[in-house]
Amino acid sequence: MITVKDLRKDFGDNHVLRGISYEIDKGQKIVIVGPSGSGKSTFLRCLNLLEQPTAGQIWLDGEEITKPDTDVNRVRRKMGMVFQHFNLFANLTIMENITLAPVKLGLMTREEAGEKALALLKRVNLVDKADAWPAQLSGGQKQRIAIVRSLAMNPEVMLFDEPTSALDPEMVGEVLEVMKELAEDGMTMAVVTHEMAFAKEVATKCLFIDEGIIMEENTPDEFFNHPQSPRLQDFLSKVL
Amino acid sequence: MTEWWAGVQQKFVAAFITGERWKLYFKGLGTTMEIAVFAAVLGIVLGTALALMKLSRSRSGGKTAATVIADIYIDIIRGTPSVLQLLIMWFIIMKNCTNGVLVASLSFGINSGAYVAEIIRAGILAVDPGQTEAGRSMGLSKWQTMRYIVLPQAFKNSLPPIVNEFITLIKETAIVGYVSLADLTRVANQVSSRTYEAFMPLIGAAVIYFVVIKILTILLGKLERRLRRSDNR
Repeated sequence: MITVKDLRKDFGDNHVLRGISYEIDKGQKIVIVGPSGSGKSTFLRCLNLLEQPTAGQIWLDGEEITKPDTDVNRVRRKMGMVFQHFNLFANLTIMENITLAPVKLGLMTREEAGEKALALLKRVNLVDKADAWPAQLSGGQKQRIAIVRSLAMNPEVMLFDEPTSALDPEMVGEVLEVMKELAEDGMTMAVVTHEMAFAKEVATKCLFIDEGIIMEENTPDEFFNHPQSPRLQDFLSKVL
Repeated sequence: MTEWWAGVQQKFVAAFITGERWKLYFKGLGTTMEIAVFAAVLGIVLGTALALMKLSRSRSGGKTAATVIADIYIDIIRGTPSVLQLLIMWFIIMKNCTNGVLVASLSFGINSGAYVAEIIRAGILAVDPGQTEAGRSMGLSKWQTMRYIVLPQAFKNSLPPIVNEFITLIKETAIVGYVSLADLTRVANQVSSRTYEAFMPLIGAAVIYFVVIKILTILLGKLERRLRRSDNR
């Protein structure tokens, strides 16, 4: 579904990604871990072209999206993204947050989008917040809304960029619960996270990114119980 | 004492009552507000356009032609006196136009646009970049993200300085007397030269400016609180 070939990204003299090649199949749940500054967030942000890669190619559904003439906006409709800091639209109510993109992009009428939003809000038990403003919600509620907002676009892939890192500890569970349900429903997911328990339980493959390359890739069982590279062994000994 | 009081009364009557002069002040105030409101609307439209032009970036991240044009515009307007801009508009650019209020409105609007541009640019830059990223990540275009997400928040950020700019504008229109438009200040001046008494008309005009601006400040303060409703916790 997504194929990445020799992806590189420089910020000036800082070589953040130094050649990443990987393939994500439909229905897979990829969990990406690594030390901070290793390039894992940049890798995720390159997938939906929030960062323009310096070199390398990315294909989505067989179409190369790194070509200069790619319709970036059309590509992004197929990829939902959830951010560390939620980024709910501060000037819009929860309902408007969810319906804005589908309506303005002409994918749904206002009524269709409203119905879809209510159904999704029901799924995360936040129907009563439909008319609230983002500033009135807790962090965990905001992140569940952010997930719902992406789902309203019917994406093929969901990208999660440290979705629980900005949350108070007691709110992490409610967000991970929604992500687990999403995984069970068969959504293709790429998740950057520090929640190792989530990785063990949900991931089909775990990736260890360090110094801008994929240093190790394996099934969760092998990844956590028999790490090969010394760097991963060291990393896991610190976080587990 | 009674003599002094009788004198005051007489001066008041001469300044405001005789020949229904109070009507002149209100007509003058009408002209002042007409010019100020038109100019403010034009200033906000122009200012927003200029702010967007200034913030535009080429693919390589360099300056665009639009940025250069906006920079030159703002430099010229801020680098010359507004009285002179009004005179140039009146005697050169629009010398055949008979609608004085229109000419003055355009002149002040063009002037105000340069200042509003900087206000709105700062307002846009104060919006969290995450808002733009979230909009773009859902497939909204640059312009849609600007229009529905960033600009509404930027206007809210910019409202206090824009109110300030509008108040400055109301007072600055007093210079239209230079091109013989009968605004509030000029009317007061005309009355004083007819009655040979300056105190009542000039202080009277000052009180009218003050009251109008005070009322506006209160109303716009209410609007600002309404716009802040999304911040309520």
